[in-house]
Amino acid sequence: MTTPRNKEGRAGYQVSFQKENDNLFIRLKGEFGLKNYEAFTREIRKGVSGHAIQNLTIDFSQVEYLDSAAALAFLQMEEEAASRKMTCRLVNLSAQSKGIFSVIHPDVLKRIPFKPEPTHEGIVQKIGQASLTIGRDFVNFITFIGDLLSALAYTVTHPSSLRGKDVLFYVQRAGVDGLPIVAMIGALMGLIMAFMSYLQFKQFGANIYVPTLVSFAMIKELGPIMTAILVAGRSGSAFAAEIGTMQVNEEVDALQTMGFDPVRFLAVPKVLAALIVVPILTVYADLSGILGGMIIGVTTLNLTFKTYMTQSINTIQVFDVVTSLIKAAVFAGLISAIGCQRGFQVRAGAQDVGKFTTSAVVAAIFLIVVADSIFAVMLYYVKRYGIFA
Amino acid sequence: MPEPLQKTPVLEVKNLTQRFGDHIVFEDVSFNVYPGEVLVIVGGSGCGKSTLLKIMIGLQKPRAGQVLYQGTDITRASDEALNEYRKNIGVLFQSGALFSSMSIKENIALPLQEYTDLDAGAIDRVIRMKLGMVNLAGYENHSPSELSGGMKKRAGIARAMALDPRVLFLDELSAGLDPITAVELDDLIIKTNEALGTTMVIVTHELESIYKIAHRVLMLDKEARGMIAEGGPLELKEKATDPRVRSFFWRQLPEEKDEPRFYAD
Repeated sequence: MTTPRNKEGRAGYQVSFQKENDNLFIRLKGEFGLKNYEAFTREIRKGVSGHAIQNLTIDFSQVEYLDSAAALAFLQMEEEAASRKMTCRLVNLSAQSKGIFSVIHPDVLKRIPFKPEPTHEGIVQKIGQASLTIGRDFVNFITFIGDLLSALAYTVTHPSSLRGKDVLFYVQRAGVDGLPIVAMIGALMGLIMAFMSYLQFKQFGANIYVPTLVSFAMIKELGPIMTAILVAGRSGSAFAAEIGTMQVNEEVDALQTMGFDPVRFLAVPKVLAALIVVPILTVYADLSGILGGMIIGVTTLNLTFKTYMTQSINTIQVFDVVTSLIKAAVFAGLISAIGCQRGFQVRAGAQDVGKFTTSAVVAAIFLIVVADSIFAVMLYYVKRYGIFA
Repeated sequence: MPEPLQKTPVLEVKNLTQRFGDHIVFEDVSFNVYPGEVLVIVGGSGCGKSTLLKIMIGLQKPRAGQVLYQGTDITRASDEALNEYRKNIGVLFQSGALFSSMSIKENIALPLQEYTDLDAGAIDRVIRMKLGMVNLAGYENHSPSELSGGMKKRAGIARAMALDPRVLFLDELSAGLDPITAVELDDLIIKTNEALGTTMVIVTHELESIYKIAHRVLMLDKEARGMIAEGGPLELKEKATDPRVRSFFWRQLPEEKDEPRFYAD
């Protein structure tokens, strides 16, 4: 008597039925487990359903392998039989099989979970939740800005408390390491802008205004905004992920219990580094933008290097450069503050780190654009009427 | 009641060597894992216990040697063969490694949905049964972060046992748990091993639990770069002559060493 083998070469199973009056004998042979769970349960159900029977006997004497899922299936059959007023007996179990049945407690299958399955929220509930989250977020951010300002003030009054090495580390991370990408994107933007404006200006023979447009746009708007968005993507996210992971590992709690203020210890160096680095990066972005424009100017527009530079320099005013740098510094503060704040919001788990890192970048870009709009209106009036007008 | 140890091993580890650069973790380690036994691997920090475990579950490739499962060398097996092997083993990682974004039920359902053709109702029943086996009945909708350390380990065991594996690997079974939880976990291991006959390979430091659960103990040593002892836990405690083995089982610092000793056999 060999056990039938299936395609994979593993031992299969066989179920045979034998009916005597209202007694049904089911003989099991071979392996019963998760792999053939569906098949053998279906076969046995089919075999049983056709008959009017009183007593069901399942014989395990030739079972070679039984796993806990299969044992569970037989227990369930026993129960179903009982509910149909039949008696069901499992006989000739090996010691091994008995062991398996001994650890399955049928009552746990009916236990009601301690916590209900999460239900889907209705639209009203979702809107409510979302508004609460936004409100809480705002309060959180304002509180954090307060914490940060007081920590910065403490650092200014106690300069020795500043962790200078950390500041330099982040200056390198956010600044030096970010320079190539900032310069490259700046140059490409200048190049594209020069080329596109050339296509329009050449219709009027106004090629000479291409350098004006490029340098004006780069310094006033594109330089600071583009740099800020790049820094938000590169460093804002890194700040959030770093602090977030420290939260998960209880490193922030450790700092607190050792008597350090986490904001002063973790956020201040990052914010200071960003404040130093972003204006410098902005200058580089401006310069490389003008340089990119010049490539088009010299190769396509038949302008000389000297003309291009003269035109550019004549366009640029000290007021524009200074306000551009102030703008960059404000963006830097927003990016680093929101990055750190989102990091501190992480509670547990890898998913939280991902969520708040994403949120740091999105919120930073949003705040950059909002701040830039405010600057645009404000600077117009400041320039026109003076600050104290 | 544990069945008498059969003499055909489930896993054969042959002349395993692992090296990272110049750093030799262990050399020439050979042993067998027999069906139905609880094999405990012990040794001081840095002796390569976890590395050995990672090689045995196919997460790391050794520099030399073989791990044979039913005639296949899993250290050189194709991806398909390795996946087939992995369906026959279960692993409990040090901190449980439950997926934090899923509920306990979803964690256990994952292998069942992926590797079996069970319908949703059957999967649900199997999950409840497994949770009942590890005394976590009723916790199916909790998320891992809502469970205590010991409960996470038990949920991890339920997930590792989802497919009724032939071999169960448990890394640092009772590290970081309170004594009572550790005892509960030991009892769970004994009960599961006796009832289901699951072969277990366990890495642990806890002497109490070693005496309680181990059928056989392997001891690795950092300086010897390999295995220095093998045998039943009490046998090693009473009869071992090697000072390093004695100091581990008697919880004493080793006596003053004059020179490094090598135990080649």
